[in-house]
Amino acid sequence: MSWLRIREMVRKEFIQLFRDRKNRPILVMAPLIQLLVFGYVVNYDIKDIRVALIDQSRTQESRLLTDAFTAGRIFRITHLPETPGELEGLLLAAKVDLGIRIPPDFSSRIRRGDTAKIQILADGGMSNMASVRIAYTTMVLDRFNGELIKELYGRELKYGKIDGRVRTWYNPNLDSQHFFVPGIVAFVVMLISLLMTSIAIIKEREAGTMEQLIVTPLKPIELIIGKTIPYVIIAIGQMAVVTVFAIFWFEIPLAGSVFALFWATCLFLLSTLGTGLFISTVSKTQQQAMMTTFFFILPFFMLSGFVFPIANMPTFVQWLTYLNPLRYFLVIIRGIFLKGVGLDILWPQYVALTVLGIAVFAGAVGRFRKRLD
Amino acid sequence: MQREELTVNLRNVRAIAGKEVYHLIRDFRSLYLAFAVPLLLILLFGYALSLDVENIETVVVDFEQTDLSRDFIRRLDASPYFRIAAQLPNTEAVKDALDHGRATMAVIIPAGWSADLRADREAAIQILLDGSDPNFAGIARAYITGFIEGANQKLLVEFLNRQGLEQIQPPVEGRIRIWFNEDLESRNFIIPGIIAIIIMIVGAMLTSLVIAREYENGTMETIRSLPISAGELLLGKAIPYFLIGLTDVLIAVLMGQVLFGIVMKASFWLMILASSLYLMVALTLGLLISSVTKSQMVANQTAVLITYLPSLLLSNFVFPVINMPKFLQLFSSVIPATYYINILSGIYLKNLGLAYLWPDLAILTGMFLILASANCIVLKRGGF
Repeated sequence: MSWLRIREMVRKEFIQLFRDRKNRPILVMAPLIQLLVFGYVVNYDIKDIRVALIDQSRTQESRLLTDAFTAGRIFRITHLPETPGELEGLLLAAKVDLGIRIPPDFSSRIRRGDTAKIQILADGGMSNMASVRIAYTTMVLDRFNGELIKELYGRELKYGKIDGRVRTWYNPNLDSQHFFVPGIVAFVVMLISLLMTSIAIIKEREAGTMEQLIVTPLKPIELIIGKTIPYVIIAIGQMAVVTVFAIFWFEIPLAGSVFALFWATCLFLLSTLGTGLFISTVSKTQQQAMMTTFFFILPFFMLSGFVFPIANMPTFVQWLTYLNPLRYFLVIIRGIFLKGVGLDILWPQYVALTVLGIAVFAGAVGRFRKRLD
Repeated sequence: MQREELTVNLRNVRAIAGKEVYHLIRDFRSLYLAFAVPLLLILLFGYALSLDVENIETVVVDFEQTDLSRDFIRRLDASPYFRIAAQLPNTEAVKDALDHGRATMAVIIPAGWSADLRADREAAIQILLDGSDPNFAGIARAYITGFIEGANQKLLVEFLNRQGLEQIQPPVEGRIRIWFNEDLESRNFIIPGIIAIIIMIVGAMLTSLVIAREYENGTMETIRSLPISAGELLLGKAIPYFLIGLTDVLIAVLMGQVLFGIVMKASFWLMILASSLYLMVALTLGLLISSVTKSQMVANQTAVLITYLPSLLLSNFVFPVINMPKFLQLFSSVIPATYYINILSGIYLKNLGLAYLWPDLAILTGMFLILASANCIVLKRGGF
């Protein structure tokens, strides 16, 4: 193996890459745009529930109930429709998330000691958000009942009550960005390294220059190293840019060690570059390579726990995720960023990344060399 | 020359389309991936992916070991939302479990808890949540707070009964009815939404390569010298992909219905109309990217960036637009997928017809017209 030949190969690759003006914005801008958009997009915080209210009772009690809803600042009454039909229209047009109708006999029933029924319509469209809204609604009603009972019996009721003190660790404000931005860093690294390697090789084949490379004294392993090193450098460079952006723009605290992060990135790149090489051996045209890349990226992305929690998946699919390098890299990157944990806790993930990386890369190199002979 | 642009000769279109089909058949894998990607997506989203939270892995430290505390833990385990993974001896073990991600919630019942309850005092329990996944933690927090609120209602009634006030009943009862997605399953809104993503992948990403490929191979010169107008070239290039895209829509609809029981509430033909319109927008967008970039690799990356990712992220597909900052909401309103997904949710979940959906259809039509003219202009500047 000659380092000189590899160096020249790397140089050629960089010249080719940057000679094409159109490549430049993609190398720099694409990761940043992805980070910026992703960073703001994924936000499931329920801070604002839009309510349409019909108060047909218009009494002191009904106003108390309305106040109970708006007191927490989570519910906001945005519309006061006249008829139930109008309320349904607002729900259909997705102008409100919740419709509440307080019937005319609301107060009279309460005063009689009966149960007054109020009608609540909830938009269940996005079920995860709807579940939270419904839970909040029930909570408000439960509290309101407690208050009313106290008032109705005219004295302070001191009873044994559970006081649940909920504390949230790692991300106390449940800030979505804290969770997703480190994940995007992982995703960006994967996207670029996977696609670029496969395309770089196919382009040689399409242009017919692969034959020329083969007749040079370049050994297959040198060819592979020369073809992958540029993308290792680019991926690590992008990783650095994106990480800096995550820390300073999104103000995500990097609780753990930078070195551990760098180390994990290198291990992760083994798998993605290996996959890229593999794709280049099974594709003839760029179109094929891109579609195949896409076919790999989709499950990598979806089955990694990036957006969709792995714990929710069926057991069989959960087993499949163990084959996904992004899964381990995400655990590491989130662990380092959010929990500030290090190798002492994350070592199983590092081991898994190493094993997967070596297996994928070695397999791809084997296939690649066979194709060259 | 000008007049020639406006008339479309069907024979020319057929020739171009035939050539493109030949390309597709020869490049068999691209073709079969065009059908495999939708299958994969539907299967993934239908079987594997869910944003709903249940069976939250919970660890418990019970310093009490009394009937009351054991009863509380048992009822927690019995609820569909929580699953008791382990009983731990102390709080250090809790930290360990959360750090390793073996559990996402911990309940710590302190010593003296039951005694407090029996003496009619407030009795605190500590709940720790792993907040790293905010979607998950937000739902989990709502569930556990609701669970405790429910337990308190029961305790209150028991207390009042002890005081001899057994006639008591809750003064207000909320009759909650859920609309559009009655069983609150994320699948019901994700599967229809995925059709929009599939169309973008097949429509825009595949076509983004077709004109760039001609430029890269140098065959664009040949095509330019033929008596073909820009419109004919575009139409010929688009038709095969239109058919593939429409087939994908049918596959997705069928799979959603057969495998996951997701049935349209409104008209099937309205859905086909909207899908064709959206597909046309996707195709013209892909072709435009292709003739502007003139390089397959750049075209593909651009297509990912301006068609696939926005459709996935900014269209109200699984990420609520209402929670985004204003500039992204503005951005969301120029993305075709936003309108198509709105139509889909109207057809699949809300049983809406043309009366409600025509504005979205009109916007898609407008987008198509703008993109189609932009295509012609770009090609003409390129020498057509």
